[in-house]
Amino acid sequence: MFRNNYDNDSVTYSPTGRLFQVEYALEAIKQGSAAVGVASKTHVVLVGLKRNAEELGSYQKKLIKIDNHMGVALAGLAPDARVLTNFLRKQAMNSKLVFNRPLSTSSAVLSIADKAQENTQSYGSRPYGVGLLVSGYDETGSHLYEFQPSGSVLEYYGASIGARSQAARTYLEKNLEKIRESASMEELIVHGLNALRDTLSQDVELTFKNTSVSVVGKDTNFTVYEDEDVQQWLDKLDSVTNSSNRNDEDEEEDAGAAAEAEGNDAGNQDTTEDRMETDE
Amino acid sequence: MTSIGTGYDLSNSVFSPDGRNFQVEYAMKAVENGGTSIGIKCKDGIVLAVEKIINSKLLVPGKNKRIQTIDRHIGVAYSGLLPDGRHLVSRGRDEAKSFKSIYKTSVSVPHLMDRLGIYVQNYTCYNSVRPFGVVAIIGGVDKKGPHLYMIEPSGAFWGYSGAATGKGRQTAKSELEKLNFDELTVREGVKVAAKIIHQAHEDNKDKDYELEITWCSLEETEGRHEFVPEDLLEEAIKYAQEEDEDDDEEDDDEDTEMAT
Amino acid sequence: MNHDPYQWGRPSDQTYGQYNHAIANAKNAPAEHDSFPKMNTQNPIITSTSVLGIKYKDGIVMAADNLGSYGSLLRFNNIERLIKVGKETVVGVSGDISDFQQLQRILDELETEQEVYDNFGDNNLRAPHVHEFLSRVLYNRRSKMNPLWNSVIVAGFNDDRSPFLKYIDMLGVTYGASTLATGFGSYLAVPLLRKVIPEDKDYVNVSEEEAKKVIMDSMRVLFYRDARSAETFTLVTLNSEGVKYDKQVQVSNQSWEFAKDITGYGSKQL
Repeated sequence: MFRNNYDNDSVTYSPTGRLFQVEYALEAIKQGSAAVGVASKTHVVLVGLKRNAEELGSYQKKLIKIDNHMGVALAGLAPDARVLTNFLRKQAMNSKLVFNRPLSTSSAVLSIADKAQENTQSYGSRPYGVGLLVSGYDETGSHLYEFQPSGSVLEYYGASIGARSQAARTYLEKNLEKIRESASMEELIVHGLNALRDTLSQDVELTFKNTSVSVVGKDTNFTVYEDEDVQQWLDKLDSVTNSSNRNDEDEEEDAGAAAEAEGNDAGNQDTTEDRMETDE
Repeated sequence: MTSIGTGYDLSNSVFSPDGRNFQVEYAMKAVENGGTSIGIKCKDGIVLAVEKIINSKLLVPGKNKRIQTIDRHIGVAYSGLLPDGRHLVSRGRDEAKSFKSIYKTSVSVPHLMDRLGIYVQNYTCYNSVRPFGVVAIIGGVDKKGPHLYMIEPSGAFWGYSGAATGKGRQTAKSELEKLNFDELTVREGVKVAAKIIHQAHEDNKDKDYELEITWCSLEETEGRHEFVPEDLLEEAIKYAQEEDEDDDEEDDDEDTEMAT
Repeated sequence: MNHDPYQWGRPSDQTYGQYNHAIANAKNAPAEHDSFPKMNTQNPIITSTSVLGIKYKDGIVMAADNLGSYGSLLRFNNIERLIKVGKETVVGVSGDISDFQQLQRILDELETEQEVYDNFGDNNLRAPHVHEFLSRVLYNRRSKMNPLWNSVIVAGFNDDRSPFLKYIDMLGVTYGASTLATGFGSYLAVPLLRKVIPEDKDYVNVSEEEAKKVIMDSMRVLFYRDARSAETFTLVTLNSEGVKYDKQVQVSNQSWEFAKDITGYGSKQL
């Protein structure tokens, strides 16, 4: 009786009230490369670490524009993100058409949250396998939301998703005050990249090829910086490698898969309720 | 739980030989560890309150509201799988809207409960769906005065004077039982609710929480379901913490940040 | 008059051929009239007359009487046609009363969806949004050949807090101006209003008292000349202090001295 019988579909609760299929979908996010979002009072910055499947292939897109005032970063199944962002774009256009006003960031994220929830309560469809960070600047200022396949949506000052994102979260928590007080968008981007940098494994560093940067905010339309355009931001960093690697004392990072699992557990624990899990 | 592993608990809509529907019971489990929600029916209206567990200090304080509004005069607080709660609320809104479009008058709270009961019960009947993972406390004021109900994953609902669900429900219930609902006003109820949530948080003490309180009353909100004003919330929080010191003489409350 | 549209006839089949129901999906005519296209509202039944609106430096003044006419019969005298939507927007409706009531329900639903459901406090429903929304509703209905038989004036405030005043009619036509009127008012009242505000930008020179006075004057002229208007009306003032309703306002300073000089219209032979 070692096999878990309660994880075959998203319409079966385990005896402790958990939905394993939904929790596994949350794991799918961690298969994707990291993305980090930070919000100051005036701007929201999203940064992402791009992967390329093979040397000759292009790097995978991490940032998607929704409207002039809104954009998302993704981690996990990119095709699922396309479905969701397509839906968001339609919502944004509808808001312009019907009300002549930009879609509010909260309505946007809640609309995809409700869409995602449907897939966790019926047989025959799987939960989405992607996490999103949604950045927006609207009437009520700058906003950063994290969307999860469970249908959970929460507003953060700083958030990170994807592989080894716990490291970025640690940076964000440590520097929360400074991030909130960032006077310029440049400062905010540097904080975003610093956090992203901490998710890197030992032999990787941030380059203009593997890094994407976006910003949206007061008097700033959603703008994505890719390739050569990213270099200007990387130049502002004191280093493009992981800080823990530089200090060469990282028992956690070295252990590879085992450490990853450990990091995941930590991640699960600190967000128990909203990740559709209920620990005993 | 002796029947676990006999196979009757693997699919929704299946009875076990002793007549239980395990998937519905398991859905209840999802609720029992969530943040506490309570509802109080006062003589002039209702008060809803939730203990919102804060899992990260990166979360924006005072945002991510949990209590929702179904119609102008009806509010909902729930514990359990929060996305399921949003689904339930969304259905409640559709029901209220459809009622209004047919009868040109706002739906009464008992009738809304009838309709939601049918909807929630439906999710226990088929193996292609799962039951709702929430217990929702629904309250409001209509032509016949204040109403308070609590609905469970089975689709069953009862009317209450004081209702509680979530992790701290036992503590909350024993506190609610001490109240005199015939005399209590919503203004007093807000303070009492803050205190009860504060006490119920003892069951979940390792985590910070935010307090969210709404009310609905003819006198205070013209029959609308609204968040209580900032100053009243502050006052209620202060009251809850004072009481705490008086009652228990415990002084290890610094970790309980009650930001608004 | 025979009010049954089916009795009004249609072009003869010999001249134009049979009616082609495939065009614009105009199919669902009742079986007993299948030579006709599907027909919707052909005329308003209970009607109401002009709505007036004028900007002034701090806001907007609007007026509309409380009358519902059944043909020339003054059938109802208690209809409030200036309705508040959201916190700071007023919508004034003239034309068919049952369609107005339908608009009222549509706007109530809009308010519920935008403000009641919004527990993040992010959806601030204001006049430009209400106006755009209503223009979509009215244009959609006319495009289905089933118009809501109304002219509407939306008053409120722009994002920058300047006054907002715009018009929509049953065809979905919209325009904005510092002085607006629907129905008979667009002929009789607009010239009076424009005396106070010759150019749209000039509303900043007008005080609340001046705006109210010209509205009162216009309502008097309309009461003199528009046989479907009534003596009591509602006056609404929108400014930074909020929306103020003055109900049961009477047309003042009437003098019917001029009436004896009116000739024509069959009232008096030359």
